[in-house]
Amino acid sequence: MLVAIAITVVKLLIYFGVLMTIVAYGTLAERKVAGHIQDRLGPFHCGPHGLLQPLADGIKLFFKEDITASKSDKVLYYLAPVIAVVPAILVLGVIPIGDYITIAGKKISLSIADINVALLYFLGVSSFGVYAIMLGGWAGNSKYPLLGGLRSAAQFLSYELLLGLSVIGVVMLVGSFSLKEIVHYQKDMWLFIKQPVAFIIYMIAAIAELNRAPFDLPEAESELVGGYHTEYSSMKFAMFFMGEYANMVVSSAIATCLFLGGWYAPSHYLSFIPGPIWFLLKVFALFFFMLWIRWTYPRFRYDQLMGFCWKYLLPFSLINILGTGLVVILRSGGL
Amino acid sequence: MIGPLIKGLKITFGHLFKPAITVKYPYEKREVAKRWRGRHLLRVDEQGRELCCYCGLCEAVCPANAIRIYGMEDPTFTRSDVGKIAEIYEIDYRRCIFCGFCAEACPRGAIVLTTDYELAEPEREKLLQTKEVLLEKR
Repeated sequence: MLVAIAITVVKLLIYFGVLMTIVAYGTLAERKVAGHIQDRLGPFHCGPHGLLQPLADGIKLFFKEDITASKSDKVLYYLAPVIAVVPAILVLGVIPIGDYITIAGKKISLSIADINVALLYFLGVSSFGVYAIMLGGWAGNSKYPLLGGLRSAAQFLSYELLLGLSVIGVVMLVGSFSLKEIVHYQKDMWLFIKQPVAFIIYMIAAIAELNRAPFDLPEAESELVGGYHTEYSSMKFAMFFMGEYANMVVSSAIATCLFLGGWYAPSHYLSFIPGPIWFLLKVFALFFFMLWIRWTYPRFRYDQLMGFCWKYLLPFSLINILGTGLVVILRSGGL
Repeated sequence: MIGPLIKGLKITFGHLFKPAITVKYPYEKREVAKRWRGRHLLRVDEQGRELCCYCGLCEAVCPANAIRIYGMEDPTFTRSDVGKIAEIYEIDYRRCIFCGFCAEACPRGAIVLTTDYELAEPEREKLLQTKEVLLEKR
């Protein structure tokens, strides 16, 4: 019993450390990618090629003055940045970065918690994120954050639906909500080949849920100042930022599990590289894809955003579910 | 609809690998043109005598009123070949617009503009620069 607890704690610490490192370097990666796409260099001053920039940013944000807007709703004002970070870290618990490893004759599962409803848990916990933005927008007692919060609420509701619907196709094929079983199912063929529509819709919905460009209406710099985090400074602002990047990493990880074969190598010749490394590589690829999208496309207009969701993506995902259902029925012996 | 989206992604991906045009400024500096108008220089001749003879044309022509000049006599001709030099020569870089009219107006070529463009100072007062800074050192 004690050993089991110790193993879990060690796993928690390692996973948390890795996530936070990826988050810190995610901010650097974003700025580097943005720079190079615009024929600039990005951060270059701190360390070789700016590699110590996250550290410098962290120190700076720690020592900045922490301003609380005087007419704000104090409880919600302090609560919102916390809610921004926590869901991403909670989801981390169910992500399987590998199958099993054996240390000293003990078989250790490489996910912190193997629960059989991992996917439902992910959908449930990740929708907490909207509270951070809504409460952050409300608590500052300022008009721009409020507008950002309002937009975010509507956007979140629409795209949360898509996220759920895109996942259903996968669940129907695999017949399980457990992320490990979904990955096991993809041993020979990754699911994005069988479910391309679901994959595309999942990625669009994930980017929209993360409020990243081209769906970054809640923080639209050019119209809403900073959107929901206009009234935040210092570490509270940093926590919103951490939340955004942690959510990016986590939803890339879930997409990897669902569609890109989790820890399996693309072909058997390459399976000498350990699973967790493959897993991280795929996560980084999707992470890069999100950055790439952000620095390519302009922002949606609000009505376009809603129209895109309800008029195009929703019907497509419903058709996808119907088609998948038909295939599942025909395969299992017909009508 | 999908075609243009992919085209856009291709373009940004291509730019990822193009060399950046950034000049890493404090570490590497750009070559400026020979005729760049930067910090002023009050020139001296071979014997170390100041060329400026306090005619006051630069002060008169300066559109930004950045120059303040006050003369004195030099009866021993040690500091000037015409017996008159500027006692005070101040250029206020808070006002100077680097038009170069002072250099154009100067009949003896005593004031020229150099290519030194690093004029920033931590305090505003230091931008008022006197002869000690501006005079050419030989």
